[in-house]
This record gives sequence, structure tokens and C-alpha cells, in this order.
Amino acid sequence: MVKKIIVVDDDPGVRYTVKAGIEALDEDYQIITVENGMKCLELLGNNQIPDLILLDVMMPEMTGWETYDRIKENEAWRKIPIAFLTARTDKIAKDAGDFLAEDYIEKPAKIPELKKRLDKILNK
Amino acid sequence: MKLNFSLSLKITLMVVLLSAIVIFSLTYINIEEQAISLENVYSDKAVILSKALDNSIENQDELIDKQKLQDYILDFSKLNPEILKLNVNLPDKEGLRVFVSTDIDSINISSGQYNNFSYENDAVVNIPIHTNNSHTITVITPINLSGQIYGTYEILLSMNESYAAFDIRAGNLIMISVISLFILIFSFLYLLRKIIVKPIIAFRDATKIIGKGNLDKKIKIKSQDELGELSNAFNKMTNDLKKSRNKVEEYNRILENLLDQKDEFIGQLGHDLKNPLQPLVGLLPVIMEKEKDPKIKEHLSILIHNVEYMRDLIIKTLQLARLRSSDTKFDMENLNLMQEVDNVLTSQKLFLNENNINAKSMIDGNIYVEADKLRSAELFNNLITNAVKYTPEGGGNLTIDAKKGKDFVTISIKDTGIGMTEEQLNKVFDEFYKVDTSKCEMDSSGLGLSICKRIVEKHGGRIWVESPGKGKGTTFYFTFKPANEKINNNI
Repeated sequence: MVKKIIVVDDDPGVRYTVKAGIEALDEDYQIITVENGMKCLELLGNNQIPDLILLDVMMPEMTGWETYDRIKENEAWRKIPIAFLTARTDKIAKDAGDFLAEDYIEKPAKIPELKKRLDKILNK
Repeated sequence: MKLNFSLSLKITLMVVLLSAIVIFSLTYINIEEQAISLENVYSDKAVILSKALDNSIENQDELIDKQKLQDYILDFSKLNPEILKLNVNLPDKEGLRVFVSTDIDSINISSGQYNNFSYENDAVVNIPIHTNNSHTITVITPINLSGQIYGTYEILLSMNESYAAFDIRAGNLIMISVISLFILIFSFLYLLRKIIVKPIIAFRDATKIIGKGNLDKKIKIKSQDELGELSNAFNKMTNDLKKSRNKVEEYNRILENLLDQKDEFIGQLGHDLKNPLQPLVGLLPVIMEKEKDPKIKEHLSILIHNVEYMRDLIIKTLQLARLRSSDTKFDMENLNLMQEVDNVLTSQKLFLNENNINAKSMIDGNIYVEADKLRSAELFNNLITNAVKYTPEGGGNLTIDAKKGKDFVTISIKDTGIGMTEEQLNKVFDEFYKVDTSKCEMDSSGLGLSICKRIVEKHGGRIWVESPGKGKGTTFYFTFKPANEKINNNI
């Protein structure tokens, strides 16, 4: 069964790496990438509900935290699992991420390892 | 008030000793002079008596009439009660001999050298004798009849009466000396306190205050002497100190600012390097997995190794920059040191076994420290990794121990590795310093021990390293604050 994941990151390199890497390792994964939180909310608004959202934290205009809040505010989207993929490794962000999200993955991440952690969240 | 006491005491003792010597020797001289003048008075009296005897004896014939002379001197001594004994000495073949005496027993005895001396030289000789309760003087005068000397009178006088009065006077004199000595000591002590001790206490107190960092403290001594000058110089010195301290503080601020900027820059750079590194770190393992050609696989593994090293470097640089930041707070809790070290050793078991390292902890189960759990674990991990890295492939031993002191717990991590030279010991905590560049170039960032140092310093401790020399192993030491185990038990 195909698992759909939305990757939200302002860095095109990261978006490409995750999409190309994960899809190359496992054809069951379908990765949709967007460059900011607004685009992600638009996608959700178009009824494109994924199995998981992978959020960057530090993005211009709307941060990962804000995006997280906006998703959780919506009754229909509340149940979508969210994981963070971020370069922020300080304790405060890490603690907050661990508490809020399904997982908190630090950049730069090896794709095979990232895939293992996604598998775990999605019970694959 | 220790300074006050001992300084006063020293000076006072000195002064008391000196003034006692001066006062008592003056008193002694005074009493001695008075005694001599008293003897002179008696001597003069004896001379007058002898003159009276001379006048009473009219000629030589009368002098030779023994019975008449004897009666005469007896009468004479009765008239003058101070006379204890009166001898008239006349010459015979062997010298002067006692011719008549108020003391019958002394007659015909040879009358000694003083009598001869007086007889030949027409001089007066005094022989004072002082014992505890009697003061006498023997005065020997020539018998001078119309300018012709025939012999000597030997007059023993009692000075007891005069000495009784003199003793009282001398006693008074000594008492006055003692009293004036005491007055001198007390006035000296008072002046000493006012002129020297008080200013010194002012200096001492000011030095204490200034020592605590308050450079605004001034000493107020207005006297126009050396102490006044000293206080002016002292105040000028504090003022100069204050100026230079302000300068140092200013430079320090600039330096702190620059360091903050550096850390901020490194932090930003490290962070910005993570995103471009993501495709490399992320995709290289995927390509590696898909690749079949062993030649390309080998190239890829070298690429992966380098990318991993770069990633490690960036992560550690960021970590170091963050540890320096004042925003970084540590979660201090009371930890059982033995448990923490055991946890670390368990998590490192595989790594240690792979490298043939026999690691053991000797830490006492009763030692508790105040530390951040995650950071201290990282500290142990770094030090253990470091020890393993610098132990030859054949393997070795690793011993972790801790000693509890009064103010801190000293933890030691001892390896049997390649050891260090003096120069390396000094540089080992410097950022980007690597002991063995050829072996570890691609595995070590050179930041691990800098991170350890910052973690220990953030705990308020100290880290240092000792090594007996190349090839003889290395021991790292660091200190943590001890925690009260009771508090821990209550948690």
C-alpha cells in the first residue's frame, strides 16, 4: 500500500534528497514536496491528506512550529502524524520536538536511516 | 586584632627594656654618688677629729706616754659617740704598730699597709665597709704635730644613723623610677596607638576592602609624616589600579563581544552547512546500496567517509559554540556516579570489545555528584572514545576511578595507550589539536577534548591530563561538585 508523505522544507537540496532517496529505496513511498508551510496547508486544504508530514523548523515566513500549530488546530488534520526534520540541534528545540511530534530527526540525515524511522512511525 | 596586638607588643617590649635600662642605671648612679658623698662627709669628720687630737697632744713626749695617751683617747671617744674604735699607730723597727687603742685587744698588732701609706705620704685613707645591717668607715689620717708626722690615727666610725636616712631616700628614688617607667610605658602605648597602630589598622582595613575589588576606598590620614605620605601614595596607587582595571574590563568586554561574534558566526555557518550537506549525507548511502560495481563502491565509501567526517566536524563545532554561549543552561541534578559510569560503559560495550579494551570502573557506590545527566554522559563518552582512539590495535586497559574530597570529587580515566609528551599535554585541550595527526586525521575532529573541557568548566570543575611519557599511557582527570546523597535519596 502506497504511503503518502508531505515534505515541507525551504531548501531545494533537502526536498530533492528526501524525495529521490526514499522513493529509490522503497517504491511504496510517495513523496510530495513543498517549499513552505502555506503551500502545505493549501495542499491539505485541497483534501490531499498524507500519511505523514515531515516538517522543517526554520523556514522563512512561517516556521515549522507555526505550521505544526495550524495543522493541529484543524479538526480534520489533527490525526495526521508529524515528524520534524531539522538542523536545529539545541536542547530546547529537541525537547519541544520530542514532546510534540512523532519523531525529531536531525539534519543531515542518512536516507536509509531516515526511511527506517519513517517506517517505524507508519508501522511499515 | 592580631596585628594590633603583636606590633604594639613588640615595640612596647623594646621600649620598656630600653627605658628600664636607662632609668635604673640613672637611679643606680644617683644612689652610688650619694653613698660616696656620704662616705666623704664621714671622712671629713674623721679628719676634723684627728685635727682635734693633734691639737690636744702638744708634743712628742706626750705621744710616747702610753698610759696618758690611752686614757686620753678613751675620754675622746666617749665625747664623740660615732667613734667605734680609735687606734694610735706609731712606728717601730718593722713598721707601724698599734700603740694605744680604745680596744685593748688590738694593741701591739701590726697596723697594715694603709697605715704605712698614710704615714709616709701625709694622705687620708678611707676604707668603707657595708654589710646588711651595718655601715662603717675606717679613716686613717696622719699624726701631724707642728708639721712633723709621727704615725697615724685609725678611726672607725659608724655610719648607721646616716645610712638609715639614706636607705629611705634610695627606696623613694627607686619607687619614683618605677612609677615614671610605668607612666612612660602607658604614654608611649597611647602615642603608639594614636600615631602608628591606628593608621596601620586603617591601611589594613582599606587593603581588605580594596582586595575585595572596591577600588573607590580611600585612606584618610592627614598627618604630615611618612604615614601621611604613604597614605597619599596608597590612594594614588588604588586610583591607578582602578584606571587600569577599567581599561582591562573594557578590553575584556571587547574580547567577549568578539568571542560571542565568533561563536555566533560559527553557529550560523555550521547551521547553514547542514542543508547543503543533506543531499550528500542522505543520498550517498542510497547510491552505495544500489551500486553493483565494486570499483565505484570503493570510491563511494571514500566519499561517504569524508562526508561523515565533515558532518561530525560541523556538529561538534556547533556543539562547542553552543556550550560557550551563556544562554546554555545545564540541568543539574544529584547523580550516583557509579551508576552513570556503568550506563556509559554498557552503551560503549560493543565499541570497547571491538577494540580489545578491557574497561572497568572502580567507583565507590556512595559517591554522588551534582551534574547534568546528558552532558556528563557525553563527557564520559568523549573521554572513553579518546582513550580507545589512542590505544594501539592490540588493545589495553581502561580504568575509571573517583576520589571524594571535601569540595570536589576527582574522577580519573586511565588508559594504557600511546601516552603523551610534555608539549602534547599542554595543547591537548586546544581546539582542533590532534595528538597523532597521521593516524587520526580522518577520524578525529580535534574538538572532542575541547568539548570535554567546556562541559567540565560549565559544571564549575577543572580538567587536566597527566602522562608519564610516550608509550606509557595517559590519565585524564576532572572534578565535579559533590552532591548531598540524602537529598538524592529523598527525591
